[in-house]
Amino acid sequence: MTGYIIKRLIAMVVTLWFIITLTFFLMHSIPGSPFNEERNTSEAVQRNLEKFYHLDEPLYVQYGMYLKSVATFDFGPSIKKSSQTVNEMLGRGFPVSFELGIVTLIVAVFSGIALGIIAALRHNGFIDYLAMTIAVLGISVPNFVLATLLIQQLAVNLAILPVATWSSPKHMILPTLALATGPMAIIARLTRSSMLEVLTQDYIKTAKAKGLSPVKIVFKHALRNALLPVVTVLGSLAASILTGTFVIEKIFAIPGMGKYFVESINTRDYPVIMGTTVFYSSILIIMLFLVDIAYGVLDPRIKLHKKEAS
Amino acid sequence: MKKFLSLLLAGVLLFVMAACTANENAGKETDSKDDGKKEEESAEKVLYLNNGQEPTSFDPPIGFDSVSWSALNNLMEGLTRLGQNHEPEAAIAEKWDISEDGKTYTFQIREDAKWSNGDPVTAGDFEFAWKRLLNPDTGSSAAFLGYFIEGGEAYNNGEGSADDVKVKAVDDKTFEVTLVSPQAYFLSVITNPAFFPINEKVATENPQWFAEAESFVGNGPFNLTEWEHDSHFVMEKNDQYWDAENVKLDKINWAIIDDTNTEYQMYQTGELDVSAVPSELSEQLLGEAKVEDQAGDYFYRFNVNMEPFQNENIRKAFAMAVDQKQIVDFVTKNGEKPAYGFVSYGFKDADGKDFRETAGDLVQTNLEEAKTLLKKGMEEEGYETLPEVTLTYSTSDSHKKIAEALQQMFKENLGVEVKLANMEWNVFAEEQKALKFQLSRSSFLADYADPINFLENFQTGHSMNRTGWSSEKYDQLIKDAKNEADEAKRFELMYEAEKILFEEMPIIPIHFYNQVYLYNDAVSGIVRHPVGYLELKWADKK
Repeated sequence: MTGYIIKRLIAMVVTLWFIITLTFFLMHSIPGSPFNEERNTSEAVQRNLEKFYHLDEPLYVQYGMYLKSVATFDFGPSIKKSSQTVNEMLGRGFPVSFELGIVTLIVAVFSGIALGIIAALRHNGFIDYLAMTIAVLGISVPNFVLATLLIQQLAVNLAILPVATWSSPKHMILPTLALATGPMAIIARLTRSSMLEVLTQDYIKTAKAKGLSPVKIVFKHALRNALLPVVTVLGSLAASILTGTFVIEKIFAIPGMGKYFVESINTRDYPVIMGTTVFYSSILIIMLFLVDIAYGVLDPRIKLHKKEAS
Repeated sequence: MKKFLSLLLAGVLLFVMAACTANENAGKETDSKDDGKKEEESAEKVLYLNNGQEPTSFDPPIGFDSVSWSALNNLMEGLTRLGQNHEPEAAIAEKWDISEDGKTYTFQIREDAKWSNGDPVTAGDFEFAWKRLLNPDTGSSAAFLGYFIEGGEAYNNGEGSADDVKVKAVDDKTFEVTLVSPQAYFLSVITNPAFFPINEKVATENPQWFAEAESFVGNGPFNLTEWEHDSHFVMEKNDQYWDAENVKLDKINWAIIDDTNTEYQMYQTGELDVSAVPSELSEQLLGEAKVEDQAGDYFYRFNVNMEPFQNENIRKAFAMAVDQKQIVDFVTKNGEKPAYGFVSYGFKDADGKDFRETAGDLVQTNLEEAKTLLKKGMEEEGYETLPEVTLTYSTSDSHKKIAEALQQMFKENLGVEVKLANMEWNVFAEEQKALKFQLSRSSFLADYADPINFLENFQTGHSMNRTGWSSEKYDQLIKDAKNEADEAKRFELMYEAEKILFEEMPIIPIHFYNQVYLYNDAVSGIVRHPVGYLELKWADKK
């Protein structure tokens, strides 16, 4: 196990380096510049700006400087918001996105699994159809549509919740609902189909024949196996939800980090592009690692150190 | 068995939902508390505004955009400030003298002009700030505005030095500036936040003084008291401000909400006092909104180096085939004025007449004439069929709608099938500068309030030209206008220049910009200048 983890850690660092390099060169190969403006600018001003941000240096020099800054976890100042550093932006935005993300994940996972189990147990019954209708709606209605609808109904018409901004727990309710519906639906459908598969297997019949209580059968025997596909999607889902979502954060005016992903690319704010990419990839890589560990816990048949033997 | 299980799980689900509802109730309680707080506060006048986005920077030469100006213009003040009629008025400078040749300005700084930390505002603070604006190491994109000052351009492009820039603190309260040429609108140019003073002592001790509310030192009607980046910021009345008795608001709460629909919904619930109009609702809400001019144009650029637009008559034919009125009435629907010239409304000439009204319509929708000119142009070029024309715009719904309307107009009015292409804004901007498009979307927002700012764009090789068009006569007129001390003559030169521009037609004007906002009835006195800064000094709330 320890050997496996060390191997994985090395692989993670290599993956990260690969992502950094690829992003760096891709980013500089897109046409455009952070100083492009529709308004008037003089050539001297443009040159001064490029010099100021070292963009006049050859690309390999910039790449070298960049690797150094990643190694020291200092992403430097943003070009567009020059009085702020990328570290400050991430340090400020991530906790907010994380808070919203964690609540969303909890709501999505628990309600999704519950819906899925109910649907599987009532296979082809009314409850199944109802649960799956909710799930299909959840997948097919984009979260920004849902968000606008929720705001209009609950905040403007009924006035029971605030419209937007991020200042108290009640401000979290609408964005959580808007954000959780999609993942909840995906989890519900996954849980339902794998539950259905597991419930027909012999060991479940055996368990029933042994006279085990239904609660024990579902939670101890069936659910554990049925959750494997859910855990698989959970890794990447968690990484993307925890690092913020552009649209929901924009609609609800949440000061998270979701907007940096999109805005930095539009404005070619190179340090912010790199900062967000490195940050997101690190989280994604860690999540995928945790998922692999979770497999072993959920299903003892999956042996993590097997690779070592082969 | 199964029944029991599903009941149990349904119970769990209900519990989760109930937990949500419990939260909603909890929310209500705090809500009523909030209301109580608001009532308590209502003794003081608090304005709730939205800044849209996080301000780029509160460092005056760096925050060169409207998201910074809205705040900065109320936190600091330059030698002059635009008044309620948008004309420059005495501000930190109490009075000034202009030399005979119109080039040297001597400003007298108010005795009672103070920084928010109590320091007096000195001429040295202006000298420091203006040289810093021009310093190439500052990396200011506003630096070109300082090229009016003698020695400014040379210092900024690395050929001169700070000592050669002709700005001088004669004594603590006397500030002297020498310009390259006499420019009557200089007093208006220096209302731009790029020309605000900087407290030299504070900036030397802490070069990042502008980055946080705690360290911010201003000299304007309001003080920055709280700034939670990307979330909100708060301004309170500045007691140190020389004209504090005329400032009516106690506090301004700025939200940072980058979504017009959300902004409007918060305006509906009373959480904001002012809101822009969401584009989908513009037809419905335009009647209630206040529509004000903004100095700038939405227009299209021809590339006169590319076929078929090297031909003047073909350019004119395309321009006359456009119906600007239809575009503002049925496509943009935001109350804009259609543009039949390039200089926008709101600039008074020496006789006090509006520039645009005096210059008149320099291009008109004329379908007959358009067809004749197209035929004539094609004959001149020997075209059997017109080379393929592609119209390019940067990706956005609103640009797309206008582009499609133009495509339709060229088809119906000229019988020309124009292809549409769009690309991401940043790439678009780069390619447009490199003259890679035949016909492309453009916009211009004035940096300062004078027609010359519009017209100088089309000088040969100017960074805003982007059409390949060049006219010696035009260049000379602009140059002469810039050196002309007599206002009446200067306007004559500018009227003539604009006429030449439209005789050769390197552009198609579409509409002038405007500022459309909904205001809570209790709010009054908010002034929006056509050059884009927001003025809260005189704002009041009942």
